[in-house]
Amino acid sequence: MNYASWPQRVGASLVDAIPIWILIGIGIAVDGPGSDGGPGLIYFLFTLLALAFALYNRSYLGGQGASIGKKALGLKLIDEQTGRPLGFGKAFVRDICHFVDGIICYIGFLFPLWDAKRQTIADKIVKTLVVKG
Amino acid sequence: MRRQYSVPERLGGLGVAVAAAAVVWPAVTAGTGLGLPCPLRWATGIPCPFCGLTTAAVELTHGRPLASLSANPAVLGLAILTAVTVPLVLLRWLGLVSLPVPWSATTRRRIGLAALTAAAASWALQLHRFGLV
Repeated sequence: MNYASWPQRVGASLVDAIPIWILIGIGIAVDGPGSDGGPGLIYFLFTLLALAFALYNRSYLGGQGASIGKKALGLKLIDEQTGRPLGFGKAFVRDICHFVDGIICYIGFLFPLWDAKRQTIADKIVKTLVVKG
Repeated sequence: MRRQYSVPERLGGLGVAVAAAAVVWPAVTAGTGLGLPCPLRWATGIPCPFCGLTTAAVELTHGRPLASLSANPAVLGLAILTAVTVPLVLLRWLGLVSLPVPWSATTRRRIGLAALTAAAASWALQLHRFGLV
């Protein structure tokens, strides 16, 4: 199995994050916490848009095999047992499980550096693999 | 198939990325107000074994080794690993060093145990640094 390397996975995550940064950045710039009277409706709308994009990109597209970032880097997200795309539900659960990678000081996100199957803890919980091609 | 990079070499690569990020990190935080909070400390008030590593990396890359070590001595391990493995990888790229030989199962177990021991020692230090022990 041709597992994706850690730098490739980081690259894909960065590509996935760019639209989110842009949307939240616009919200902050137009109507963010620094504006008169605190954060306003536009800020919350853009934050909601960013969340909706993340859900569509990571869970829907990710569940079909690759988010925009993974597609750009030539990676695929597959079920460890079947070798096929996960589907929306399992991809969504995997994203929730990334909480475990984060709560232990982000070490879970570093697991692909030394793990034999290059899995994060979320990947191990949900039994998923990120592979090349 | 032999691996192109060993685990220490991958961690050395992480060290290079951390060093690069640490060089620009003070400017990023000053410009944006962003930070890298410890999720465990944020949620429970208890520091994790890796608390202080951002500060330690910033201090080390800005030529303040004592301040770096007092924040988290573990940064020294990463710095040594980086200093040793980066030249090795460069020599391999030049064709002067052969591909890494995978560790035996026993060596993997021993290295894993050593890493866990180092993490436990680092945690004890952080608990002491934050006045919890």
